[in-house]
Amino acid sequence: MSLATGASAVGVLAAPSGPVAPGIGVDRWLLAGAPNVGKSALFGRLTGLYVTVSNYPGTSVEVTTGTRATGGAAILVADTPGLYALLAVTEEERVARHAIFSARGAAVLHVVDASHLDRALPLTLQLLALSTPLVLVCNHLDEARRRGVAPDIALLSERLGIPVVGTVATTGEGVEALAGAARLAPVPSDGWGLPQPFAAGVAAVTDEGGAARLEAELALCGDAELAASVAQRDPHRWRDAVAARDARWGSAEDFAVALATARRRMTLALLDGVVPEAPAVRRRDAALDRVLLSPWTGLPLVALVLYVGFYLFVGRFAAGTLVDWIERVAFDRWITPAASAAVGAVVPWAPLRALLVGEYGLFSLGVRYAVAIVLPIVGAFFLVFALLEDSGYLPRLALLLDRGLKRLGLSGRAVIPLVLGFGCNTMATLVTRTLETRRERLIVTLLLALAIPCSAQLGVVLGILSIYPAAIAVWAGVLVAVFVVVGRMAALVLPGEPPSFYLELPPLRTPTARNVLQKTGARVQWYFAEILPLFLLASVILWLGDLTGALRAATRLLEPVMRFIHLPDAAAPAFLYGFFRRDFGAAGLYDLARHGVLGPAALTTAAVTLTLFVPCVAQFLVMRKERGIRTAAAVLAFATVVAFTVGGAVGWLLRHVGGWV
Amino acid sequence: MNCATCGSASAACGNCPIAPALALPETLATLAVGARATVHRLASASGADLRKLLALGVLPGVELEVERRWPAVVVRMGFATVALDAGLAEGVVVTREQ
Repeated sequence: MSLATGASAVGVLAAPSGPVAPGIGVDRWLLAGAPNVGKSALFGRLTGLYVTVSNYPGTSVEVTTGTRATGGAAILVADTPGLYALLAVTEEERVARHAIFSARGAAVLHVVDASHLDRALPLTLQLLALSTPLVLVCNHLDEARRRGVAPDIALLSERLGIPVVGTVATTGEGVEALAGAARLAPVPSDGWGLPQPFAAGVAAVTDEGGAARLEAELALCGDAELAASVAQRDPHRWRDAVAARDARWGSAEDFAVALATARRRMTLALLDGVVPEAPAVRRRDAALDRVLLSPWTGLPLVALVLYVGFYLFVGRFAAGTLVDWIERVAFDRWITPAASAAVGAVVPWAPLRALLVGEYGLFSLGVRYAVAIVLPIVGAFFLVFALLEDSGYLPRLALLLDRGLKRLGLSGRAVIPLVLGFGCNTMATLVTRTLETRRERLIVTLLLALAIPCSAQLGVVLGILSIYPAAIAVWAGVLVAVFVVVGRMAALVLPGEPPSFYLELPPLRTPTARNVLQKTGARVQWYFAEILPLFLLASVILWLGDLTGALRAATRLLEPVMRFIHLPDAAAPAFLYGFFRRDFGAAGLYDLARHGVLGPAALTTAAVTLTLFVPCVAQFLVMRKERGIRTAAAVLAFATVVAFTVGGAVGWLLRHVGGWV
Repeated sequence: MNCATCGSASAACGNCPIAPALALPETLATLAVGARATVHRLASASGADLRKLLALGVLPGVELEVERRWPAVVVRMGFATVALDAGLAEGVVVTREQ
């Protein structure tokens, strides 16, 4: 997933005033194309920045920009989310389309899978109309060669009238040639314009060319967003054009299908002689897919993947062994004593010393939690996730779980944000953009905030509860029950059409170590840029609270709530920290468990309540940005009520029925 | 999902004995695994569904082969493989290759 760093990520390539200076060439490039064709890998090759590449359609949700410094003046390169067609279905496709339509003056690099030219070229034909330099990039050329369908690049270039470059992004083949072609790419003449009678239909809407012509075409095809903006410009003309379209074709849908069919015929004519006749061979991974997708073998495999990848590797190894070593050996034995001694020697004022290395110190709380507890767990999670992504397993998972998720008002596509939520709920909330309807996005946002523990929290909770295996079962059982019940209720209560599932299955590919490691690194980097400031801020607030006595007062306020869910008063600070970071709270419990303050029943109750309890500050901010303040506040209130109600019930049951304590 | 005509589970539609007699238009949802067909026309209920089919490249004239029917319909078109649920597949009217 590529996450832009600036707020103005979209439309960043909008033309500056004035023409491009002669001799410099095109210095702004925009990568566009369908999901999973290698845009992000090419972006990495072109800029040296490696953001992320995934073998899952739809994990880049924002426009990412970088610069290419080699060969004279710097070139601004942008990577857009994948889009199958300009007629957008999802939010991320609209993001990509907006970037493409604002690209005038920049070179658009249309990246396509060299084996699927017939599927991709209709979009190229549309991009030709943009009146901006255009380069066709046939990526995954190695796969096309192996299949015996590698295109005749020179002939294709001649037919389209634009530079065409063959590349293999994963090895770097053809990347320099692409850079050269992009720099010198001219504005193409649209030799493959709209066929009649469609051209007349579009001309009834606008006389302009470029993006305006494409907007008119898409508006006629039934794109509600563009139809509204086109209609606003000239209501009378638009009304007449719609009437003419309906008289001839019947409806927007019929117009869209007829136009797409005409473009496909054009594409096939264009490709005649460019691509060798495809030999009829069976898909190489068809047998493997039968095993992965059949419910009898596929579902047990899902369980195995989750068990080994997430429970054993992330839960036991990273959250257990690794955290233990870093905490108890690296920090407790070496780093913390050394830091305390150093600060003690240099800083004379006690409160300032406390701010740095005291109980809630920037170093002892903020940095230690971040590095010792969160880093190993989050890093391990993203590593497993990257492996699943690059292998192409995630779309298969989406397919397998589609039927189950339909009962919760979701489609199989929701698997991606939901699984990513086990890594970082904040990131996952952003990725809900890949879902089609507002209803789905809302349900996933709610489930993420409520029932999906993030990896930091998960690791710490599993670490604490591992002393009592039955407690893990109760905790997991309660979370699954809340997930299913709340999802089902949301599906019944929220208005809107039930979702439908559609997805391209990329070929199964062996992940390369370079891609996986770089992707993991990029995500961990994003995570830390996002959360370390909040860790430090939380430390400062807690230190201030401790200094002024406000913390004790706030803790006392929480004590009745603790008693309500049958927890000792000593658990109150953990919940207070939970406001700042969900895993902060869990880490607080970790300390209590280590000192033996909480018994199994209390610990289970606390873990359940804290997991369900409010999302962290970062997640709340993203919820507000993506869903609006009212929805975010409602989710927050709902999560609080559910957390304490369920927590109270679990506490009561464990005391009175479970026979624990 | 049950067949609108006979009421039995549509999983059995692939070898339906009455469909040929009724001359019902065959859709992607009724094709058996291994069947090859050409898309004849798109008859989706909604514009949104239609846009999804266009995005997947399921267009009149496209040749495809059914690889799976469960948990969703998986079809192969050239070197691309796409998955769509029964609701979307019902909107794709096809001509089966004999």
